[in-house]
Amino acid sequence: MVLLAAVALTTLLANGATRLRFTALAFFAVSISANVIAAGATTAAQVAVLAVAGLAAAGILFISARDGNYGEDPGWRLWVATLIAAIATPAAFASFRTITGEAVTDLPLFAADSGSVVVQVASFWLLSSGTAILVTARSAVRTSLGALLMLTGVQLLMRYAPGPQLELTIAVAWVELVVALTGAFLIVNERAVRE
Amino acid sequence: MTITIASPLVLLALMAPVVFLVRKVVVLAAVLTLLTLAAAAAMIAIAPDAATAQLLSLELRLSPLGRLAAVALLATTGVIVADVWLDEPAYNFFPTALGVGAVVVAVLLLTTPLATYAVLLIGLLLPVGSFTFQIHRNRSVEAAIRHFAFVSLGGTIGLAALALAASLPRDQPQSTFVLLVVVLYVAFALKLAVIPFHTHAALLAAEAPATALALYFGVLTPVTVIAFVQILTQAGLLPSLLQLAKVQDLLLGIGGLSAVGGALLATGATDLRRLVVCSVISDLGIALVGIGTFSGPGIVGGIAIALATGASATQQLLAAGTLERRADGGPPRAARAPLAAAAFVAGGIGLIGAPPVVAFPGRFYVELMAYSFATWLGAALVLATLLLLIAQLRVALGLFAEGLPSWRPERRPVAGIAGAVIFAGLLAGGIAPDAFLRPIAAFAEEFLRALRPL
Repeated sequence: MVLLAAVALTTLLANGATRLRFTALAFFAVSISANVIAAGATTAAQVAVLAVAGLAAAGILFISARDGNYGEDPGWRLWVATLIAAIATPAAFASFRTITGEAVTDLPLFAADSGSVVVQVASFWLLSSGTAILVTARSAVRTSLGALLMLTGVQLLMRYAPGPQLELTIAVAWVELVVALTGAFLIVNERAVRE
Repeated sequence: MTITIASPLVLLALMAPVVFLVRKVVVLAAVLTLLTLAAAAAMIAIAPDAATAQLLSLELRLSPLGRLAAVALLATTGVIVADVWLDEPAYNFFPTALGVGAVVVAVLLLTTPLATYAVLLIGLLLPVGSFTFQIHRNRSVEAAIRHFAFVSLGGTIGLAALALAASLPRDQPQSTFVLLVVVLYVAFALKLAVIPFHTHAALLAAEAPATALALYFGVLTPVTVIAFVQILTQAGLLPSLLQLAKVQDLLLGIGGLSAVGGALLATGATDLRRLVVCSVISDLGIALVGIGTFSGPGIVGGIAIALATGASATQQLLAAGTLERRADGGPPRAARAPLAAAAFVAGGIGLIGAPPVVAFPGRFYVELMAYSFATWLGAALVLATLLLLIAQLRVALGLFAEGLPSWRPERRPVAGIAGAVIFAGLLAGGIAPDAFLRPIAAFAEEFLRALRPL
């Protein structure tokens, strides 16, 4: 549960950041928290891929800022995005969670649960927050952040999908990298137009 | 070294960074790109039927549809590359084209739905670099950002739906899987820019270069349609669709809306590129109706329309780019580039789906199936076709409004020749439709088996 709170708080930090460099750092924190939350269902090789992807994506955004002042002030959009995410997460969990015959009673404070409740809630939170940020974004800065948060949520959901896990993790890590590179390219161009 | 079905994919993926390094030597980059595309297409064309290979632990399989679509789309990419090289040099375009080629081949060969979808998402983001040009004079950056947002949103929602569908045990309530299919459909609708998710395409049509639009609407859009049906087949989600008739109504409704809406927008289009993009949106709607009928002829027609529309849209967009450049800011006129104008008009025949080009049988099948499903749906598709005919005629008459002082072709008639090559391919397919439709029919059989497993 503490890890879930860490994901929620770091997401809110990324969402509320007005400077791109801070957004990038907060996104890296989200990525780490998300990986820790699903550590039980992740191999060492996957953890390495996910850590590199998160670091690279955050690094690309950090560098694309070029100075500490550039960013997008979310303003009222922060609250709208948070409200949408808060409403959408339980709705998504109710609609799409894994339904088992047993009631979930054991949700440990510091570790992930034996089922997949915490991971699913975390992924739905990230997907909802990302969608809300993307929909309300005005520039490439928050568009990139929204897309990266959603991809972090997808990486969580994929841990329980059957199939070649490492290859799928690498594929989505590449998507994360391409999204970060495209976002950075657009951030630089957008800034050139404005200035 | 053994050549496997993975070889063309590896070749394209490896050559993209090589060409990126030499991109400023335009001739070298262009020649390398064309040779790579030709080699990859040849490898796929001569590969044995149902060839398989492993890439890491991912299985690759060459289906008859995969072969047809890969060769057709790589050839289309080659035509666009030749046009960029000879008519409108843009050095960043060549590595992008190779990257897109690699994505096309990967999407058509991969058999794991999640991997297919992830690769497709990368492919749809690759042209963003080509969309932006002369950024201080136009709104191409804004258009590219909007495209980025739509593709990221649709792409990630779709990936999440697929990951959930794969991870949920099969004893979950059917309504969950039905909902996931609906989410997946909306995700593809966002990426395909069908109505009502078309606003980013409208801005792109106005601001992005014609060659970048051709790469997107001519190559990536058809492969997205094929990816949609392939993923539905491979993910095992199809049987759940039959549980709820309303889902089919939703698929047909969005398809029909896009067909008529796109055609209406095309009739009001004020420039050539907008006309092409709106016509593509309309044709994609018709293709989605075909797929949504869940019938053999409908699926064959839908995929055939997607492929033929891609080729015709490329032909028209390349011609539109030339006509606009030669117009020097004025209205595009055939007198400035008669061959390009002829290519534009001929491309319109393909987008309308008129005989004798290969687009005709596909449209005929879909309209037939739409009528058998519901009279209003068939009538809507016929109305869309009529509106497209009016839109294309209106623009063609405008192009020739001042007549032709002479029939001499323009200097460097690259778009005209490119258009003639594409039109010859579409005509050949129309004369011998069996060669074009049989591989699609083989896939339709696979789709129907997945829909109603024994």
